[in-house]
Amino acid sequence: MTFKRIKASIRWLVDSWMVIVFFIAFFLLWELSIDWFSIPRYILPKPSTILVNASADLPRLIDYTYITGLETILGYVTAIVIAIPLGLAITFSSILRRTIYPFFVSIEMTPKIAFAPLFISWLGFGLLPKVIIVFLVCFFPIVLNAILAFGSLSDELDRFSKTTGASILKIFIKIRIPSALPQCFVGFKYAAINATVGATIAEFIGSDQGLGFYIQIQTGNMRTDLAFAGIFLLTIMGLLLFGIVTFVERALIPWHISQRR
Amino acid sequence: MPAAITIQDVSKSFSTEGQPILAFGPADLEVEEGDFVTLLGPSGCGKSTLLLMIAGLLSCTTGKIVMNHEEVSEPRHDIGMMFQDSTLVPWRTVLGNINLQLELRNLNLDEYSVKISELMESVSLKGYEHLRPHELSGGMQQRAALCQALIHEPKTLLLDEPLGKLDAMTRENIRKDLQNLWMNEKPTVLMVTHSIEEAVQLSSKVCVITPRPGLIDKTIEVKLPWPRDLDVKRSQMFTDYMAEIQEVFQGYGVI
Ligand SMILES: Nc1ncnc2c1ncn2[C@@H]1O[C@H](COP(=O)(O)OP(=O)(O)O)[C@@H](O)[C@H]1O
Ligand SMILES: [Mg+2]
Repeated sequence: MTFKRIKASIRWLVDSWMVIVFFIAFFLLWELSIDWFSIPRYILPKPSTILVNASADLPRLIDYTYITGLETILGYVTAIVIAIPLGLAITFSSILRRTIYPFFVSIEMTPKIAFAPLFISWLGFGLLPKVIIVFLVCFFPIVLNAILAFGSLSDELDRFSKTTGASILKIFIKIRIPSALPQCFVGFKYAAINATVGATIAEFIGSDQGLGFYIQIQTGNMRTDLAFAGIFLLTIMGLLLFGIVTFVERALIPWHISQRR
Repeated sequence: MPAAITIQDVSKSFSTEGQPILAFGPADLEVEEGDFVTLLGPSGCGKSTLLLMIAGLLSCTTGKIVMNHEEVSEPRHDIGMMFQDSTLVPWRTVLGNINLQLELRNLNLDEYSVKISELMESVSLKGYEHLRPHELSGGMQQRAALCQALIHEPKTLLLDEPLGKLDAMTRENIRKDLQNLWMNEKPTVLMVTHSIEEAVQLSSKVCVITPRPGLIDKTIEVKLPWPRDLDVKRSQMFTDYMAEIQEVFQGYGVI
């Protein structure tokens, strides 16, 4: 088993060499073209400059990464914790399905980020308004996908479980939840992509810490190199969150068609 | 023999765009205990619909169905049902899918382990226990689904085109197994099929259903000796039964 895993990892590395080569080429080209085209460093710095100057400001960057990360995770996890039970309730209650559901579908059309200035004026510069904005950005894709997931059990499976006379709870655990997981993860992944966007924009609008704040300040100071450092850290954070969700997905639903190679 | 299933004046209409459209019936049918009855008819004539109504999974628009002396009004648990589409779940192996039937019925898995391996052996699925449905061919999936429908030893079997996706050779084998199972345990079987040959080979009675809206036009008692092996299939009587049914369908203009 472990041997097989190692082999799979090696194959993955070999398979992804093109991506790695592309990345290296991309940064190399970037590094070289700054001199070739004599681009001023306040417009676009060299990757090496970004690296060197960022490490000089490392303590602050780590601090801010932690803060933006915390906002993102708190908002994301709260969204999951509230959206899944609510999605279930909406699926199985015809009253909720006729009231809250259409309301959610119409709110889905509103760009949630538009509420960001309001929340900041209501709740100030602290952590809470950012968590709420991340929550709002994540909540709707999760709840709408959960409703889709729990509501779309195939007729055959529904009927099969009825002929067995099993309790609703048992059918739920053995049939409904596993068949709903793939669609739920569509929502989790979509929300994971949007979570860092929400946190960053919320910080742009009103904040005195965090990576979004940092990027804005450094851009204002013409410190493009440091702004890029912030952007890289946000990218890594987004990739990490998405990677964790994908990892959990693989662990929970290895049988699903999207997980097969 | 007492009637295991009685169908009285049963019909089913579906409302499509607000208009009720008759999909099946009205029809009467009596299935005796231990009978092997096939429903034979062109697609869309309401065979699956009838099976679902008997299982209590779909309500009748008119008429009533009585199974084992009880009017059917809710899903029956005393049946083994094989649906037209697969009920194998992708997150379980073949064995896990068969166990699912037992688990949902609160039956003890250990008590059935011998029975499971016998059943899998008889449908040539031995050695495939730990594969997942997507790793099997269509025919193997159907055999696994058959095991899932039979494992709890139901006295009444409702099978919706159970052998539809099998290749000719496997189909012949599974027919033999189904026949053996029926001869040994004498369950009441109601099976849907498209194949005239299969109907004549397996059934004690063949119900011929007209094109939509399906009506049970003719019930033919098949008085051939059991087991219906190749010798019986080559006999003149067998050919005569097939010809008789073929003529009925020619009359409908479906073949
Ligand atoms: N849920 C449904 N809603 C509307 N029409 C249906 C529904 N189920 C079946 N029908 C119609 O009823 C007819 C009989 O269907 P079915 O029982 O599946 O036929 P068969 O199994 O004989 O091929 C078909 O014409 C089909 O379109
Ligand atoms: Mg059908």
